[in-house]
Amino acid sequence: MKTTTQLYISALLVFFILTSCETNVTDDITLNGSAPRLVIDGGLERNITTPLPQQSFRLTSTIGFLDKEDPTPVDDATVTVSNGVTTYDFVHTSNGVYVNDLIEPQIGVSYTVSIVWNGDTYEGSDTLNEVPLFDRLFVVFEEETLFTDEGYFLKFDSSDPVGVENFYYYRIFKNGEFFIVADPGNSITLVETDEFFDGQQRLGVTINEEVVFEIGDIATGQQLGISEEYYDFLYELFIQTGQGGSFIGNPPPASIRGNIINVTNPQQRALGFFYAVDVEEDTIEVEE
Amino acid sequence: MKCYKKRWLFILFLCGFISIYAQESATLSGYVKNGANSEDLLGVTVLVGTDRGTVTNDYGFYSITLPKGTYTVTVSYLGFEDITKEVVLDKNQKIDFMLEEKIGVLDEVVVTSNRASKAVKSTEMSVVSLKSETINKLPTILGEPDILKSIQLLPGVSSVNEGSSGFNVRGGSADQNLILLDEATIYNASHLFGFFSVFNTDAIKDIKLYKGGIPSVYGGRLSSVLDIRQREGNRKEFNGELGIGLISSKGLIEGPLFKGDNEEGKGGYMIAGRRSYVDLFTFLSSEFDDTTLFFYDLNLKANYSINDNNRLFLSGYFGRDRFEIDDFLGTIWGNASGTLRWTSILSEKLFLQTSAIFSNYDYSLDNLRGGSEFRWNSNILNYNLKPKLNWFINSNNTLTTGLDITYYNFEPGEIKSLNGSNVNPEKFQENFALESAAYVDFKQTISDKLSFQYGARVSNFKRLGRENVRIYENGTPLTYNPILDRYETNQVIDEISYGSGKTIQDFYGFEPRFSARYLINDYNSIKLSYNRMYQYIHLISNTTSATPLDVWAPSGTYLDPQYADQIALGYFRSFNDNAYDFNAEVYYKSMNDVTDFVDGADLLFTEEIETETVQGDARAYGFELQVNKNKGALTGWLSYTLARTERKILGINNNEYYPSNSDQLHELNLVGLYKLNDRWDFGANFVFGSGRPVTYPTGQYEQNGLVVADYENRNGDRLPAYHRLDISATLNPKKGKKGKWIFSLANVYNRQNAASIFFREISEVGDQEIATGETEATKLSFFGIVPSVTYQFKF
Repeated sequence: MKTTTQLYISALLVFFILTSCETNVTDDITLNGSAPRLVIDGGLERNITTPLPQQSFRLTSTIGFLDKEDPTPVDDATVTVSNGVTTYDFVHTSNGVYVNDLIEPQIGVSYTVSIVWNGDTYEGSDTLNEVPLFDRLFVVFEEETLFTDEGYFLKFDSSDPVGVENFYYYRIFKNGEFFIVADPGNSITLVETDEFFDGQQRLGVTINEEVVFEIGDIATGQQLGISEEYYDFLYELFIQTGQGGSFIGNPPPASIRGNIINVTNPQQRALGFFYAVDVEEDTIEVEE
Repeated sequence: MKCYKKRWLFILFLCGFISIYAQESATLSGYVKNGANSEDLLGVTVLVGTDRGTVTNDYGFYSITLPKGTYTVTVSYLGFEDITKEVVLDKNQKIDFMLEEKIGVLDEVVVTSNRASKAVKSTEMSVVSLKSETINKLPTILGEPDILKSIQLLPGVSSVNEGSSGFNVRGGSADQNLILLDEATIYNASHLFGFFSVFNTDAIKDIKLYKGGIPSVYGGRLSSVLDIRQREGNRKEFNGELGIGLISSKGLIEGPLFKGDNEEGKGGYMIAGRRSYVDLFTFLSSEFDDTTLFFYDLNLKANYSINDNNRLFLSGYFGRDRFEIDDFLGTIWGNASGTLRWTSILSEKLFLQTSAIFSNYDYSLDNLRGGSEFRWNSNILNYNLKPKLNWFINSNNTLTTGLDITYYNFEPGEIKSLNGSNVNPEKFQENFALESAAYVDFKQTISDKLSFQYGARVSNFKRLGRENVRIYENGTPLTYNPILDRYETNQVIDEISYGSGKTIQDFYGFEPRFSARYLINDYNSIKLSYNRMYQYIHLISNTTSATPLDVWAPSGTYLDPQYADQIALGYFRSFNDNAYDFNAEVYYKSMNDVTDFVDGADLLFTEEIETETVQGDARAYGFELQVNKNKGALTGWLSYTLARTERKILGINNNEYYPSNSDQLHELNLVGLYKLNDRWDFGANFVFGSGRPVTYPTGQYEQNGLVVADYENRNGDRLPAYHRLDISATLNPKKGKKGKWIFSLANVYNRQNAASIFFREISEVGDQEIATGETEATKLSFFGIVPSVTYQFKF
């Protein structure tokens, strides 16, 4: 029940806001940089509702934290994904994005990405787990609270399968546009394990408390079935992005370990996660 | 266990050192009390002639055996008039002394272990004591005097940030302090997330902090002992006090029990209470309408003399914090403890005290979000029995011996559904343990110049059933992968069931303690001490701030006891008839099997904490200096600490030493108290500390639409230096009046000290929440300038 830890910490945050003050010190700080690391962002998605025309992910390399530019795209890597039987080539299109339109992600299959870049070979695997469907997707109007604005919130009912360990990730789209923002609430709301509700139906769960809809908006919600490893990764990611490092009540920040291993030179680690997920999706129009 | 027996022989050998004279001698013994209210005075010097003497024990009892003859006995204690008395010691004699407080005299001593000459002459080193009157005169933040904040003005004591009432002693972590309130262990000493400590200074008589040279009477934590004694209650007359502050109000009543028509009751009592009302200020912003935030605590003490030789004490503490945000979260936490003590004078030379103690810490956390409401409970409960015997053998030798037995019951957590939500109830396994120790301690005067205090403690920690112990693949829950430089969790392959009371794991610790004093002359001394400490329970928390969600884990199959060795050398000196004194100490402490946590560890709601915990070594060394001005209208002290503390743990920071969270190279405190006249007292303190270690990001990348920071070395960077000036003024009542005003101004020059600097993606443009991809660094400070006022009334 990792979420509750975060629940507590965000409440703690409220308390500190009462007594504290913030100053922007971006220009007063010089950071020690490090050698650029390879980063993978993306993976394979099985989506029955809106089948994807192609599978894609992005490769970049790291830059300094306070640098003004964007992370550098990696356009010269050789990339393949294997399902254990067939190996698919992913080709670079632009801006570090690699695509393949033949691969069709399947439930229960483990996928391995292989990246050759700057003479090093990187590998990482993830297994695609089936996701339960929404029983219902709907919106509810709510008043303003300490943490949320007033408006319509996208909610769902869903039944967790009995006796199976499930890990979930929630994505929200407003008028077709994916929405996410760094927020302490992310690790509470966007990822979930069924540790304490295995086999139960959950009712009226808000997908993303940061997103408020108005009448006429098109609201899309996604429930992703993810692996335990990806859950751990996302949880850590949301914790660190939600609090911005060494804040009070936070553990010492550390590099988030993904699933990519540098086979040639293990010390020169890569960052990010290559995932394989199952997507349940539903879309509604917000009405009165 | 063979070497174990040899160690016992060693102790017996130590016993052989005591030379027992068969000379014609007699014993002078009795109590020393405060004449105003009959409370015991502890640590009072009883000087016989010019060169022989003793001090009263924790219950104000003294005993000294001398050759028969006529002696001048001088009883002296800080802030009290000396008593000098001719005693014809031709047989064993019992004399109780009633000391009268000095009135109308300028305040004498602020800090030090009593008067300066005693600091020079005592074998104790690395020890500081503070009286609650001193604490009450220091400037405060928000008007609440605070023991834990006050001791941080002393050398070698610091804290990681303002929001933590946890303190660090000589590089130790906050869970390595044994905090005793009337002998009961307090597990969490903070109210309101660390901004206040749980000790109500009105109810406290005095405190003593051991940073090193810890006597064998104490054990169970690596770095320090903070021994806090509550007031006993006035045996002579009824008294009351009321205090009204900005943050909290408090009250205290005390009086005699079974007094009848006598001048003094057969007993006395004291009840003190405190309640904060921070939440009353939440009306300032409508956003906080749904917030509840307060704490309260109660202190209680009663004592009763059965007869001249037997007394009973009952003391209790109960404190609670509550924090709730409607429909979101609720949390309640607090300590409760009770101590029943019986002291008995078995003979002129033998003083026995037995304490039975109960202590509990618990918290609950409610998730009140619709659809998944639940309550989470956790607690740690213990029962403690401590018999202790003082044997005042003769004027040169005192022996203290005893047992310290604790039974623990840890309930790491239980989850229950609230409001009919579909949360499956679950309870983590309880843990049981028995910690037992036997100790012996000698105080021995070898010559006018040389004296020793030495002894040993033998401790045993038994982890008991009923429990199912998980067995992991490869025999260990975590395997370090040196190639990937990370820990990998092994699978649970089996479970072994232990029945109720069956021993799961057994640990022994042998803890020698030693200190020596060499008196160069009446004004100069050199001291040396060594101690080894074992700690069998570990705080499972990887944050630097005080959180109420403290989980303690006992040593067991996968968690080893921590142990530490510390050696310290000190020079003590007094000047100008004790108007000033000075001490300087150097220390080196090595700590083994200290607990730390794997990167990204999740410690709450995790039953398998062994898969999150790693152990390694730590070292701390430093130099401490303190100058006290003890007499005159202006009193106070200057303290300076130069220190380093580092950890080395496999899998963290490339397996190299890294600075501990509490590492601080320079720390300077300047405290001054000035008595202008009978009505006005002023106080000021200035603190300076060099920047604490933090981890700044070394790179950024994008993931799922968010900017993520990457990190390399733990604690590789430093926050800016910390400094602050606080001042206070006390307006004492006119003659015949009873009200008193205390004004305080914290952080006078409004320094925005960095509690933390954090790095994040800018995710707000105007009012709009949006991921921008841009980054920034932000400094967080807790306090600007804070004025406060408190009104106190005695009746």
